Amino acid sequence: MRRAGAGEGAAFDALVRRHQGRVYRLARRLTGNAADAEEALQDTFLRVLRRLSGFRGQSLFSTWLYRVATNSALMVCRSRRRRRTEPLDAYLPRFDGRGRHRHGADHGRAGRAEELLDRRRLAAAALRALQRLPAPYRTPFVLRDLEELPTAEVAAVLGLTEATVRQRVHRARLQLRGYLSHLVGVEP
Amino acid sequence: MSHAVTCRHGVECLMDHAEGRLDRAARRAIDTHVAGCVRCQGFVRSYAATPRILRRATAAVLPAAVARSLRRRLRAARPGRLRTRRG
Repeated sequence: MRRAGAGEGAAFDALVRRHQGRVYRLARRLTGNAADAEEALQDTFLRVLRRLSGFRGQSLFSTWLYRVATNSALMVCRSRRRRRTEPLDAYLPRFDGRGRHRHGADHGRAGRAEELLDRRRLAAAALRALQRLPAPYRTPFVLRDLEELPTAEVAAVLGLTEATVRQRVHRARLQLRGYLSHLVGVEP
Repeated sequence: MSHAVTCRHGVECLMDHAEGRLDRAARRAIDTHVAGCVRCQGFVRSYAATPRILRRATAAVLPAAVARSLRRRLRAARPGRLRTRRG
């Protein structure tokens, strides 16, 4: 990485090859489609190319790269004029006046979505559902639960406290769990 | 304490419970509630499975054409910026 930052083309190529797959996967999850993911991927490495010599190593390179990639993906999302998407709040769990689950005779069914749904349908629905999460919830969920970064690193990438990351990931999980319930025909 | 735990309270604490962030008494109270609540048992199972289901469903592999296009774009952007080490 030091050699890439010092201007060696071969070292920079190797750095791109090492990280391009995970940056693309992250961008796909954050933007929801292949064309936007490609644009975010290119934008990420162009920014890395411009700024690498200034990277002083105060943070982990992966933290810095995830920050650049996340910002690129969110900028691509913002630049698109999309139709408004319905939030997933309707899929949060519901309770009666005594704090008991209102529904849920078959709550576990959502956990079997992979067995119960066609793989392509589930993949398309999952990407659409992520886009229905507001960015402040989608981003920590994607980094923490899908890219499997430790909570502390997600907090460093996004400039949030660990408590805020946990709170947002939890809410995103609840909404997505409820959405999976809906897909398999069960009340959240 | 276990009598005070409701499904709602258990759901609020699920992530802290899963990450081992609750103290022993709170953890035991949640476990006791879940052990006696069929709805919570199903909820906990599906809550725990949600990240894995989303992770598998949205796993994307970088297409070779996209990697080639990235390489071309970066080469075009960097003449004079990055030198190639030769001899």
